[in-house]
Amino acid sequence: MDFQGITDRLTAVGAPGFLGVDEPRGKDPEVKGDKGRAGDPFVLVDPQSIDRFLVVCRDDPKLRFEILADLTATDPAADDENLWVNYNLLSVSHRHRLAIKGILPKSEPTLPSAVAVYRAAQWHEREAAEMFGVTYRGHPDPRNILLPDDWVGHPLRKDYEFPKEYHGISCE
Amino acid sequence: MGFLQEKVAELGSGTNLIRELLAGAPRPELVPDWAIPLTAVFIGVGILLAIVSLCAMFGTWLERKVSGHIQCRYGPMRAGWHGWLQPLADGVKLLLKEDLIPLGADRVLFVIAPALVLSSILGAMAVMPLAPDFFFADAPMGVFLILALTSTTTIGVIMAGWASNSKWSLYGAMREAAQVVAYEIPLGVSLLVPLMVAGTFNLSEASAGQAGGFGIFGWYIWPVGFGTEGFSLGNPFMIPALVLVFVAVLAETKRAPFDLPETESELVAGFLTEYSGIRWSFFFMEEYAAMFLYCVVASFFFLGGFNSPLTWVFEDGGLLPNVFLFNVMAFVTIVVKGFLGMFVMMWVRWTLPRLRIDQVMTMGYKYLTPLSLLCVLGAGLWEWGKWMIVG
Amino acid sequence: MDRELQGTITLPEEGRTLASGEQEFVLDVRTQDMELNMGPQHPATHGVMRILVRTDGELVTGAQPHLGYLHRCAEKIGENVEWLQYLPYTDRYDYLAAMNNNIGYSMAVEAVMGIEIPRRAEMLRVICAELNRIGSHLIAFGTYGLDLGAITPFLYAFREREWMMSLFEKICGARLTYSYIRIGGVFNDAPPGWLGEVSRFCDTFEVKWREYYDLLIENQIFVGRTADVGVIPRDMALDFGLTGPMLRGSGVDFDLRRDMPYSLYEEIHDAGAFKIPVGTGEKGTLGDCWDRVWVRVVEMMESVGIVRWCLENIEPGPVIGDIPKTLRVPAGEAYVGIENPRGELGHYVVSDGDKVATRCRVRGPSFCNLAVVEEILSGTLLGDSVAIIGSTDVVIGETDR
Repeated sequence: MDFQGITDRLTAVGAPGFLGVDEPRGKDPEVKGDKGRAGDPFVLVDPQSIDRFLVVCRDDPKLRFEILADLTATDPAADDENLWVNYNLLSVSHRHRLAIKGILPKSEPTLPSAVAVYRAAQWHEREAAEMFGVTYRGHPDPRNILLPDDWVGHPLRKDYEFPKEYHGISCE
Repeated sequence: MGFLQEKVAELGSGTNLIRELLAGAPRPELVPDWAIPLTAVFIGVGILLAIVSLCAMFGTWLERKVSGHIQCRYGPMRAGWHGWLQPLADGVKLLLKEDLIPLGADRVLFVIAPALVLSSILGAMAVMPLAPDFFFADAPMGVFLILALTSTTTIGVIMAGWASNSKWSLYGAMREAAQVVAYEIPLGVSLLVPLMVAGTFNLSEASAGQAGGFGIFGWYIWPVGFGTEGFSLGNPFMIPALVLVFVAVLAETKRAPFDLPETESELVAGFLTEYSGIRWSFFFMEEYAAMFLYCVVASFFFLGGFNSPLTWVFEDGGLLPNVFLFNVMAFVTIVVKGFLGMFVMMWVRWTLPRLRIDQVMTMGYKYLTPLSLLCVLGAGLWEWGKWMIVG
Repeated sequence: MDRELQGTITLPEEGRTLASGEQEFVLDVRTQDMELNMGPQHPATHGVMRILVRTDGELVTGAQPHLGYLHRCAEKIGENVEWLQYLPYTDRYDYLAAMNNNIGYSMAVEAVMGIEIPRRAEMLRVICAELNRIGSHLIAFGTYGLDLGAITPFLYAFREREWMMSLFEKICGARLTYSYIRIGGVFNDAPPGWLGEVSRFCDTFEVKWREYYDLLIENQIFVGRTADVGVIPRDMALDFGLTGPMLRGSGVDFDLRRDMPYSLYEEIHDAGAFKIPVGTGEKGTLGDCWDRVWVRVVEMMESVGIVRWCLENIEPGPVIGDIPKTLRVPAGEAYVGIENPRGELGHYVVSDGDKVATRCRVRGPSFCNLAVVEEILSGTLLGDSVAIIGSTDVVIGETDR
């Protein structure tokens, strides 16, 4: 199924939290400073209902996204008020993909965990949590995964400040 | 001194020879008579030690060359011709290495363990005759003594594993204990087959029983032999017994595919993990010495012992009877046979993957032990039948 | 933790995992669990991974991987260097398949830029990717033998890999971290005679491959050590997001090269140059270690088929498009997943129209494949745990990035 078919199906089954689509477009000459958007299309989803949305994606016979290929977050800019949470689903039986994005305010970056839907999310969520400071509600093992347990800050945030030292070791 | 002199007098021809040489030599008045047998014993021990170390050293060199050529490389090439001095260079390096005892280790046991391991194999080596007329302790119950002494190396290994204060070492020691206990039985039982055929526990006597037939066809391994007394019926259970002994010896000497106590990919280095320098090399020497000893014992009871075409030429009543050359050739024969056996063990090691501990146990208890018992039963019935019919 | 006197313990039958049969023994002695630190320096962890293993004698009762010992902030670096400058960093996550990593990153950037690359460049990319896949699987095969105590196959595998690396040395000058594949094509054309040597490599490899297969894969001890060990059922494989040989070993017939084709793979597959090997549980249970290793080993031969097809069909032409030295990627984002030797290597790049990336996410297949180890290790023997970790074929550079 192509992207259009997937979104049509999502609308038809009434996937919870499905907000809309974002497709690549050219520069809009009317809007000053508009850069357009290149690349792949994705669907926008309300992050607070992402777990229920993923259940639909996994269990709907027309969609059948068996694999959670990727789960991460993105900090678009230091002055942006929001974080993005990105999901990438892969269907083995229908051979199609779906990129999902949720907009999450930096002021309160919590959303439900997807571990109950895909266990693949377990390590990805731990990584996103330590790197971006996102809290996944209901994660069974919310420890740091790549960083030491006592690491301060979230390194992939744009406003992250590099530490001057770590346990007495100078980092400069 | 009387008791000691009595005991020394019982020792084999090797010490007698040295004793005679010493007695014949001029000596100062100060040296008392009883010092001569004692010195002879010490010289004998020195000779044995030299042989063990040389076997171990040459064994390590052979292992590296064999593995190298199996793996499309050369192995050591720099120290001497094709690296034959490499073991010496390694020995010097190991001697000069820092002697580490890990913190929290049981220092006494940690130090004793390698010595115990090596001394038990040295003790077993004393039983091995070097030539028909040159031996040190040709015990009437030779095989029995060898089995008993070599199994004490296990105690040393367990001591090493326990004393190292490392979990990997402990695992290695426990595996060694389990494995050796499992394989002592098939080894001992399947060795009963040649003992029945030879009718002796003594290594020299077993070798003497296989003389004739151009030095080859008198061996106990042949189902139909051609020895000093012409054609004779052998025992068909000797071949399976040799296979069983070989497998059990692989396990006893911790060689792949039974190198569970070391398993460098699972247990880092097993009981050897914390050892370094000369202490580590003691374990290594024990391994190669034990391989050599087992191969020699197997060749004494299955593959003719001292008998080969070389000795056949010089033996009493042969083409060129010469006692001295006969003894030299016998020594060469047994060393070559020992190293050929070692070569097969190395060949196996560099070809096969390793078994898992439960598979090792299964093989020992479920297959090798019943098979060796069957082998003994069959061999016994065969010998009994032969005795009943032939007389 | 102390166990009660006369407590019960569940042991796997014949060393199999608990799934295949359970057996209960009554203990009459008091035993204690032992925690073992496997790694960060351990011969079986293939790098600096640490697995905390709880053992009851030889039985593993729990395992917890600890990652991060090789974390080199690849994603953060991606947000701080120019698009093209990041390419050498991609070599370093899965250092056994650097060509494939280059392709993954280049394709992700190309997807945002919306550019096509010359056909000869695609051909060279496919040749390099498949040669690198062979090299990577040779390591997987060799080190797996090493894990199971067979040392010799490792050196045989390295002999062939050496040739493969010298081929790469001839085409790009590097032996491990190539950076040969560039955004918009490849760095340079193959030197004269290179394609002929690749063809000779394929001829030799086909002969040697048979030897390796007989020496290790069909070996009775090897089968005994791997069959029925570390079984990952189909559902578990999908749930954990396994990809690549791990997924195919569990009987899922899915390969991105065939099912979501990129580059020239659709054409190559239509020409019948390769098939996708899928585990069948031939020696034991579907999804055991043997199936996974078998898939990798058979894949090497399929890669040879792909290389041969490319060698037959390659035509002269340009190898790189007109790409400026300082790239300015239009604003946008793309996720591109390609079939690496270890599974799906995903690159999620976000551009703000600037000289540097806003986000440069790497989805390493090893990272996802390793997660399943936590689940399947408990209930196995210590020797099996090594076999299981080895069969996942993780590269720590990629799990930690």
